[in-house]
Amino acid sequence: MIRRLLHPWLTVRAQIALGAVFVAAALPKLADPPGFAEAIWNYQLAPAWLIHPAALTLPWLELLCGLALCLGVWTRAAAAWCAALLLVFATALSVNLARHHPVDCGCFRTQTRARSADERVADMRWAILRDLGLLALAAQILAAGAARRRDLAFSPETDTMEGSPGA
Amino acid sequence: MPKLFPDLMRALALLAAALVCAGLGNRLARADRKLDWTGWAPPAGLLPATPAPPPPPQAQAHPAAPEPAPLRGKGPRPPVAPAPPSPAPAAQFAPAPDAVIRDIASEAAWEAFRLRIPFLDARRSAEFQDGHVPGAWSVPVWEADAAARITEFEARANPAPLAPIAIYCSGGDCEDSRLLAKKLVDLGYRNLFIYRDGFPDWVKRGRPQERGARP
Repeated sequence: MIRRLLHPWLTVRAQIALGAVFVAAALPKLADPPGFAEAIWNYQLAPAWLIHPAALTLPWLELLCGLALCLGVWTRAAAAWCAALLLVFATALSVNLARHHPVDCGCFRTQTRARSADERVADMRWAILRDLGLLALAAQILAAGAARRRDLAFSPETDTMEGSPGA
Repeated sequence: MPKLFPDLMRALALLAAALVCAGLGNRLARADRKLDWTGWAPPAGLLPATPAPPPPPQAQAHPAAPEPAPLRGKGPRPPVAPAPPSPAPAAQFAPAPDAVIRDIASEAAWEAFRLRIPFLDARRSAEFQDGHVPGAWSVPVWEADAAARITEFEARANPAPLAPIAIYCSGGDCEDSRLLAKKLVDLGYRNLFIYRDGFPDWVKRGRPQERGARP
Protein backbone atom coordinates (compact mmCIF):
# COMPACT_ATOMS: atom_id res chain seq x y z
CA MET A 1 0.00 0.00 0.00
CA ILE A 2 2.77 2.42 0.99
CA ARG A 3 4.63 1.45 -2.19
CA ARG A 4 1.57 2.23 -4.22
CA LEU A 5 1.12 5.62 -2.54
CA LEU A 6 4.73 6.52 -3.24
CA HIS A 7 4.70 5.31 -6.85
CA PRO A 8 6.55 7.60 -9.28
CA TRP A 9 3.44 7.74 -11.49
CA LEU A 10 1.58 9.44 -8.64
CA THR A 11 4.53 11.66 -7.77
CA VAL A 12 4.69 13.14 -11.26
CA ARG A 13 0.97 13.96 -11.17
CA ALA A 14 1.27 15.40 -7.68
CA GLN A 15 4.17 17.60 -8.78
CA ILE A 16 2.29 18.97 -11.77
CA ALA A 17 -0.92 19.55 -9.83
CA LEU A 18 0.81 21.25 -6.90
CA GLY A 19 3.05 23.25 -9.22
CA ALA A 20 0.11 24.44 -11.32
CA VAL A 21 -1.82 25.54 -8.23
CA PHE A 22 1.17 27.49 -6.94
CA VAL A 23 1.77 29.19 -10.29
CA ALA A 24 -1.93 30.09 -10.54
CA ALA A 25 -1.87 31.45 -6.99
CA ALA A 26 1.30 33.45 -7.57
CA LEU A 27 0.27 35.37 -10.70
CA PRO A 28 -2.44 37.67 -9.26
CA LYS A 29 -0.23 38.48 -6.28
CA LEU A 30 2.73 39.26 -8.53
CA ALA A 31 0.50 41.66 -10.43
CA ASP A 32 -0.59 43.49 -7.28
CA PRO A 33 1.86 43.48 -4.33
CA PRO A 34 0.06 46.32 -2.49
CA GLY A 35 -3.19 44.35 -2.55
CA PHE A 36 -1.41 41.27 -1.23
CA ALA A 37 0.24 43.33 1.52
CA GLU A 38 -3.20 44.50 2.59
CA ALA A 39 -4.43 40.89 2.58
CA ILE A 40 -1.52 39.85 4.82
CA TRP A 41 -2.15 42.81 7.12
CA ASN A 42 -5.79 41.82 7.42
CA TYR A 43 -4.77 38.50 8.94
CA GLN A 44 -3.38 40.50 11.87
CA LEU A 45 -0.69 37.93 12.56
CA ALA A 46 2.52 39.08 10.87
CA PRO A 47 4.62 41.77 12.54
CA ALA A 48 4.50 45.14 10.79
CA TRP A 49 8.10 44.95 9.54
CA LEU A 50 7.46 41.62 7.84
CA ILE A 51 4.33 42.51 5.88
CA HIS A 52 5.86 44.37 2.94
CA PRO A 53 8.88 42.06 2.39
CA ALA A 54 6.58 39.05 2.61
CA ALA A 55 4.11 40.57 0.13
CA LEU A 56 6.96 41.18 -2.32
CA THR A 57 8.82 37.89 -1.91
CA LEU A 58 6.18 35.22 -1.27
CA PRO A 59 4.55 35.42 -4.72
CA TRP A 60 7.92 34.98 -6.43
CA LEU A 61 8.75 32.08 -4.14
CA GLU A 62 5.41 30.50 -5.01
CA LEU A 63 6.01 31.03 -8.72
CA LEU A 64 9.53 29.63 -8.69
CA CYS A 65 8.53 26.61 -6.60
CA GLY A 66 5.50 26.00 -8.80
CA LEU A 67 7.60 26.16 -11.96
CA ALA A 68 10.26 23.89 -10.44
CA LEU A 69 7.61 21.32 -9.56
CA CYS A 70 5.99 21.47 -13.00
CA LEU A 71 9.33 21.18 -14.76
CA GLY A 72 10.63 18.46 -12.42
CA VAL A 73 13.78 20.23 -11.26
CA TRP A 74 14.77 20.65 -7.61
CA THR A 75 11.48 19.03 -6.76
CA ARG A 76 12.22 18.17 -3.15
CA ALA A 77 13.44 21.65 -2.29
CA ALA A 78 10.42 23.16 -4.04
CA ALA A 79 8.01 20.69 -2.39
CA ALA A 80 9.55 21.48 0.99
CA TRP A 81 8.91 25.21 0.45
CA CYS A 82 5.37 24.49 -0.71
CA ALA A 83 4.72 22.36 2.38
CA ALA A 84 6.12 25.10 4.63
CA LEU A 85 4.02 27.80 2.94
CA LEU A 86 0.88 25.67 3.05
CA LEU A 87 1.41 25.03 6.75
CA VAL A 88 1.78 28.77 7.35
CA PHE A 89 -1.34 29.56 5.29
CA ALA A 90 -3.44 26.87 6.98
CA THR A 91 -2.26 27.98 10.41
CA ALA A 92 -2.99 31.64 9.68
CA LEU A 93 -6.48 30.79 8.47
CA SER A 94 -7.14 28.48 11.43
CA VAL A 95 -6.02 31.06 13.98
CA ASN A 96 -8.31 33.70 12.48
CA LEU A 97 -11.15 31.22 12.26
CA ALA A 98 -10.64 30.28 15.90
CA ARG A 99 -10.71 33.89 17.05
CA HIS A 100 -13.75 34.72 14.89
CA HIS A 101 -11.94 37.19 12.70
CA PRO A 102 -13.20 36.58 9.16
CA VAL A 103 -10.64 37.54 6.54
CA ASP A 104 -10.40 37.39 2.78
CA CYS A 105 -8.13 34.47 1.99
CA GLY A 106 -5.92 36.38 -0.45
CA CYS A 107 -5.01 32.99 -1.93
CA PHE A 108 -5.94 33.45 -5.59
CA ARG A 109 -7.02 37.08 -5.69
CA THR A 110 -5.85 40.21 -3.95
CA GLN A 111 -8.88 42.48 -4.17
CA THR A 112 -10.99 42.48 -1.08
CA ARG A 113 -14.63 41.87 -1.80
CA ALA A 114 -17.64 43.16 0.04
CA ARG A 115 -18.89 39.98 1.64
CA SER A 116 -20.62 39.01 4.81
CA ALA A 117 -18.75 37.48 7.72
CA ASP A 118 -20.56 34.17 7.18
CA GLU A 119 -19.43 33.96 3.58
CA ARG A 120 -15.87 34.69 4.61
CA VAL A 121 -15.94 32.03 7.34
CA ALA A 122 -17.27 29.44 4.87
CA ASP A 123 -14.51 30.35 2.42
CA MET A 124 -11.89 30.12 5.14
CA ARG A 125 -13.02 26.59 6.02
CA TRP A 126 -12.77 25.57 2.38
CA ALA A 127 -9.37 27.22 2.05
CA ILE A 128 -8.06 25.29 5.07
CA LEU A 129 -9.32 22.02 3.59
CA ARG A 130 -7.74 22.92 0.25
CA ASP A 131 -4.44 23.73 1.94
CA LEU A 132 -4.49 20.39 3.75
CA GLY A 133 -5.18 18.56 0.48
CA LEU A 134 -2.29 20.35 -1.20
CA LEU A 135 -0.17 19.58 1.84
CA ALA A 136 -0.89 15.90 1.25
CA LEU A 137 0.44 16.27 -2.31
CA ALA A 138 3.60 17.95 -1.03
CA ALA A 139 4.02 15.21 1.56
CA GLN A 140 3.70 12.56 -1.18
CA ILE A 141 6.44 14.24 -3.22
CA LEU A 142 8.75 14.52 -0.22
CA ALA A 143 8.08 10.98 1.02
CA ALA A 144 8.49 9.47 -2.44
CA GLY A 145 11.76 11.33 -2.87
CA ALA A 146 13.02 10.11 0.48
CA ALA A 147 11.95 6.53 -0.31
CA ARG A 148 13.68 6.62 -3.67
CA ARG A 149 16.87 7.89 -2.07
CA ARG A 150 16.70 5.12 0.48
CA ASP A 151 16.21 2.49 -2.21
CA LEU A 152 19.04 3.92 -4.27
CA ALA A 153 21.34 3.87 -1.27
CA PHE A 154 20.97 0.09 -1.20
CA SER A 155 21.17 -0.45 -4.94
CA PRO A 156 24.39 -0.81 -6.94
CA GLU A 157 23.28 1.97 -9.34
CA THR A 158 23.55 4.64 -6.71
CA ASP A 159 26.42 6.42 -8.36
CA THR A 160 24.77 6.64 -11.77
CA MET A 161 21.43 7.83 -10.39
CA GLU A 162 22.80 10.42 -8.04
CA GLY A 163 22.75 13.33 -10.44
CA SER A 164 19.52 12.59 -12.22
CA PRO A 165 17.10 15.48 -12.48
CA GLY A 166 14.61 15.66 -9.71
CA ALA A 167 16.59 13.31 -7.52
CA MET B 1 20.51 8.16 4.82
CA PRO B 2 19.11 10.93 2.66
CA LYS B 3 21.49 13.68 1.86
CA LEU B 4 19.73 16.80 3.01
CA PHE B 5 22.50 19.28 2.38
CA PRO B 6 21.99 19.71 -1.39
CA ASP B 7 18.24 20.09 -0.89
CA LEU B 8 18.79 22.70 1.79
CA MET B 9 21.08 24.64 -0.54
CA ARG B 10 18.50 24.40 -3.33
CA ALA B 11 15.78 25.63 -1.00
CA LEU B 12 17.94 28.59 -0.02
CA ALA B 13 18.73 29.21 -3.70
CA LEU B 14 14.99 29.33 -4.45
CA LEU B 15 14.52 31.87 -1.67
CA ALA B 16 17.44 33.95 -2.92
CA ALA B 17 16.09 33.86 -6.47
CA ALA B 18 12.66 34.94 -5.17
CA LEU B 19 14.26 37.88 -3.32
CA VAL B 20 16.19 38.96 -6.42
CA CYS B 21 13.09 38.67 -8.63
CA ALA B 22 11.03 40.59 -6.06
CA GLY B 23 13.61 43.39 -5.98
CA LEU B 24 13.79 43.63 -9.76
CA GLY B 25 10.06 43.26 -10.24
CA ASN B 26 9.26 45.96 -7.71
CA ARG B 27 11.79 48.31 -9.31
CA LEU B 28 10.22 47.84 -12.74
CA ALA B 29 6.60 47.87 -11.55
CA ARG B 30 4.13 50.62 -12.38
CA ALA B 31 3.72 53.27 -9.70
CA ASP B 32 0.38 51.90 -8.49
CA ARG B 33 1.81 48.38 -8.23
CA LYS B 34 4.91 49.34 -6.28
CA LEU B 35 5.30 48.52 -2.62
CA ASP B 36 7.89 49.89 -0.21
CA TRP B 37 10.13 47.23 1.31
CA THR B 38 9.66 48.96 4.62
CA GLY B 39 6.01 49.80 5.15
CA TRP B 40 4.34 51.86 7.80
CA ALA B 41 1.22 49.81 8.35
CA PRO B 42 0.66 49.85 12.11
CA PRO B 43 0.64 46.48 13.80
CA ALA B 44 -2.69 44.90 14.49
CA GLY B 45 -4.49 46.01 17.60
CA LEU B 46 -2.81 49.41 17.75
CA LEU B 47 -5.35 51.20 15.62
CA PRO B 48 -7.03 54.00 17.49
CA ALA B 49 -10.38 53.13 18.92
CA THR B 50 -13.11 55.15 17.34
CA PRO B 51 -15.33 57.01 19.72
CA ALA B 52 -19.03 57.11 19.18
CA PRO B 53 -20.03 59.27 16.25
CA PRO B 54 -20.98 62.81 17.08
CA PRO B 55 -24.65 63.43 17.61
CA PRO B 56 -26.56 64.37 14.49
CA PRO B 57 -26.70 68.08 13.93
CA GLN B 58 -29.71 69.81 15.30
CA ALA B 59 -32.16 71.50 13.04
CA GLN B 60 -30.24 74.32 11.52
CA ALA B 61 -31.34 77.88 11.30
CA HIS B 62 -30.91 77.71 7.56
CA PRO B 63 -32.01 74.96 5.24
CA ALA B 64 -29.31 72.43 4.51
CA ALA B 65 -28.54 71.79 0.89
CA PRO B 66 -30.77 69.02 -0.36
CA GLU B 67 -29.10 65.83 -1.46
CA PRO B 68 -29.05 65.30 -5.20
CA ALA B 69 -31.33 62.33 -5.07
CA PRO B 70 -32.10 62.07 -8.79
CA LEU B 71 -28.52 62.70 -9.83
CA ARG B 72 -27.24 59.36 -11.03
CA GLY B 73 -24.78 60.45 -13.65
CA LYS B 74 -21.08 60.87 -13.30
CA GLY B 75 -21.13 64.48 -14.23
CA PRO B 76 -18.89 67.21 -13.00
CA ARG B 77 -19.15 68.72 -9.58
CA PRO B 78 -22.47 70.54 -9.35
CA PRO B 79 -22.51 74.15 -8.30
CA VAL B 80 -22.14 73.98 -4.58
CA ALA B 81 -23.57 76.75 -2.51
CA PRO B 82 -20.86 78.67 -0.68
CA ALA B 83 -20.52 77.86 2.96
CA PRO B 84 -23.30 79.64 4.79
CA PRO B 85 -22.32 82.41 7.12
CA SER B 86 -23.83 80.67 10.11
CA PRO B 87 -21.33 78.33 11.78
CA ALA B 88 -24.03 75.93 12.94
CA PRO B 89 -23.46 73.09 10.43
CA ALA B 90 -19.74 73.41 10.78
CA ALA B 91 -19.95 72.97 14.52
CA GLN B 92 -19.86 69.20 14.26
CA PHE B 93 -16.54 69.48 12.45
CA ALA B 94 -14.96 71.64 15.13
CA PRO B 95 -11.86 70.07 16.68
CA ALA B 96 -12.37 68.01 19.80
CA PRO B 97 -9.24 67.47 21.88
CA ASP B 98 -10.30 64.06 23.13
CA ALA B 99 -11.27 62.64 19.74
CA VAL B 100 -8.82 63.26 16.95
CA ILE B 101 -10.37 60.58 14.72
CA ARG B 102 -14.15 60.45 14.56
CA ASP B 103 -16.54 58.38 12.49
CA ILE B 104 -19.18 60.24 10.55
CA ALA B 105 -22.30 58.91 8.93
CA SER B 106 -23.52 59.47 5.43
CA GLU B 107 -25.39 62.73 6.06
CA ALA B 108 -22.45 64.28 7.87
CA ALA B 109 -20.20 63.28 4.97
CA TRP B 110 -22.50 65.13 2.58
CA GLU B 111 -22.41 68.12 4.90
CA ALA B 112 -18.61 67.98 4.92
CA PHE B 113 -18.59 67.87 1.13
CA ARG B 114 -20.93 70.83 1.01
CA LEU B 115 -18.66 72.75 3.36
CA ARG B 116 -15.75 71.99 1.03
CA ILE B 117 -13.85 70.08 3.67
CA PRO B 118 -11.07 68.22 1.84
CA PHE B 119 -11.73 64.55 1.18
CA LEU B 120 -8.95 61.99 1.10
CA ASP B 121 -9.58 58.76 -0.79
CA ALA B 122 -7.64 55.90 0.85
CA ARG B 123 -8.56 53.27 -1.76
CA ARG B 124 -6.28 51.95 -4.46
CA SER B 125 -5.55 54.36 -7.30
CA ALA B 126 -7.35 52.15 -9.83
CA GLU B 127 -10.52 52.37 -7.74
CA PHE B 128 -10.02 56.14 -7.44
CA GLN B 129 -9.85 56.46 -11.21
CA ASP B 130 -13.06 54.47 -11.59
CA GLY B 131 -14.91 57.07 -9.56
CA HIS B 132 -14.41 59.22 -6.48
CA VAL B 133 -15.89 62.06 -4.50
CA PRO B 134 -15.44 65.21 -6.61
CA GLY B 135 -12.32 67.08 -5.60
CA ALA B 136 -11.02 64.23 -3.42
CA TRP B 137 -7.29 63.61 -3.08
CA SER B 138 -6.09 60.10 -3.85
CA VAL B 139 -3.87 58.69 -1.09
CA PRO B 140 -3.80 54.93 -1.59
CA VAL B 141 -2.33 53.81 1.71
CA TRP B 142 -0.94 50.54 0.41
CA GLU B 143 0.91 51.94 -2.59
CA ALA B 144 4.52 53.03 -2.45
CA ASP B 145 3.89 56.69 -3.24
CA ALA B 146 1.31 57.25 -0.49
CA ALA B 147 3.73 59.43 1.49
CA ALA B 148 4.48 61.53 -1.61
CA ARG B 149 0.76 61.99 -2.22
CA ILE B 150 0.23 63.17 1.35
CA THR B 151 3.06 65.65 0.82
CA GLU B 152 1.41 66.85 -2.38
CA PHE B 153 -1.92 67.22 -0.58
CA GLU B 154 -0.20 69.24 2.13
CA ALA B 155 1.59 71.42 -0.40
CA ARG B 156 -1.48 72.19 -2.50
CA ALA B 157 -4.29 72.22 0.06
CA ASN B 158 -2.17 73.55 2.92
CA PRO B 159 -4.43 72.22 5.68
CA ALA B 160 -4.00 73.52 9.22
CA PRO B 161 -3.39 70.85 11.90
CA LEU B 162 -6.85 71.45 13.36
CA ALA B 163 -8.64 71.82 10.03
CA PRO B 164 -11.19 69.08 9.44
CA ILE B 165 -10.23 66.41 6.91
CA ALA B 166 -12.63 63.72 5.72
CA ILE B 167 -11.30 60.29 4.80
CA TYR B 168 -13.10 57.44 3.13
CA CYS B 169 -12.47 54.06 1.57
CA SER B 170 -14.83 51.27 0.52
CA GLY B 171 -16.97 51.17 3.64
CA GLY B 172 -17.90 47.89 5.31
CA ASP B 173 -14.88 46.40 7.01
CA CYS B 174 -12.45 48.48 4.99
CA GLU B 175 -9.62 49.62 7.26
CA ASP B 176 -7.73 51.77 4.78
CA SER B 177 -9.29 55.04 6.02
CA ARG B 178 -8.26 54.18 9.54
CA LEU B 179 -4.70 53.43 8.44
CA LEU B 180 -4.54 56.74 6.61
CA ALA B 181 -6.01 58.55 9.61
CA LYS B 182 -3.33 57.01 11.81
CA LYS B 183 -0.68 58.24 9.41
CA LEU B 184 -2.15 61.75 9.43
CA VAL B 185 -2.26 61.76 13.23
CA ASP B 186 1.44 60.91 13.18
CA LEU B 187 1.95 63.90 10.91
CA GLY B 188 0.22 66.17 13.41
CA TYR B 189 -3.36 66.42 12.15
CA ARG B 190 -5.89 66.39 14.94
CA ASN B 191 -9.34 66.72 13.41
CA LEU B 192 -10.03 63.74 11.17
CA PHE B 193 -13.38 62.37 10.12
CA ILE B 194 -13.82 58.89 8.72
CA TYR B 195 -16.78 58.51 6.40
CA ARG B 196 -17.78 55.13 7.75
CA ASP B 197 -19.88 53.83 4.88
CA GLY B 198 -17.41 55.01 2.29
CA PHE B 199 -17.68 55.39 -1.43
CA PRO B 200 -20.26 52.60 -2.08
CA ASP B 201 -22.71 54.55 0.09
CA TRP B 202 -21.84 57.77 -1.76
CA VAL B 203 -22.69 56.10 -5.06
CA LYS B 204 -25.80 54.44 -3.68
CA ARG B 205 -27.21 57.80 -2.66
CA GLY B 206 -26.72 59.20 -6.13
CA ARG B 207 -24.26 61.85 -5.07
CA PRO B 208 -21.98 63.40 -7.67
CA GLN B 209 -18.77 61.67 -8.55
CA GLU B 210 -15.74 62.27 -10.68
CA ARG B 211 -13.72 59.85 -12.72
CA GLY B 212 -10.09 59.70 -13.70
CA ALA B 213 -6.91 60.76 -11.98
CA ARG B 214 -6.71 64.07 -10.21
CA PRO B 215 -5.37 66.75 -12.56
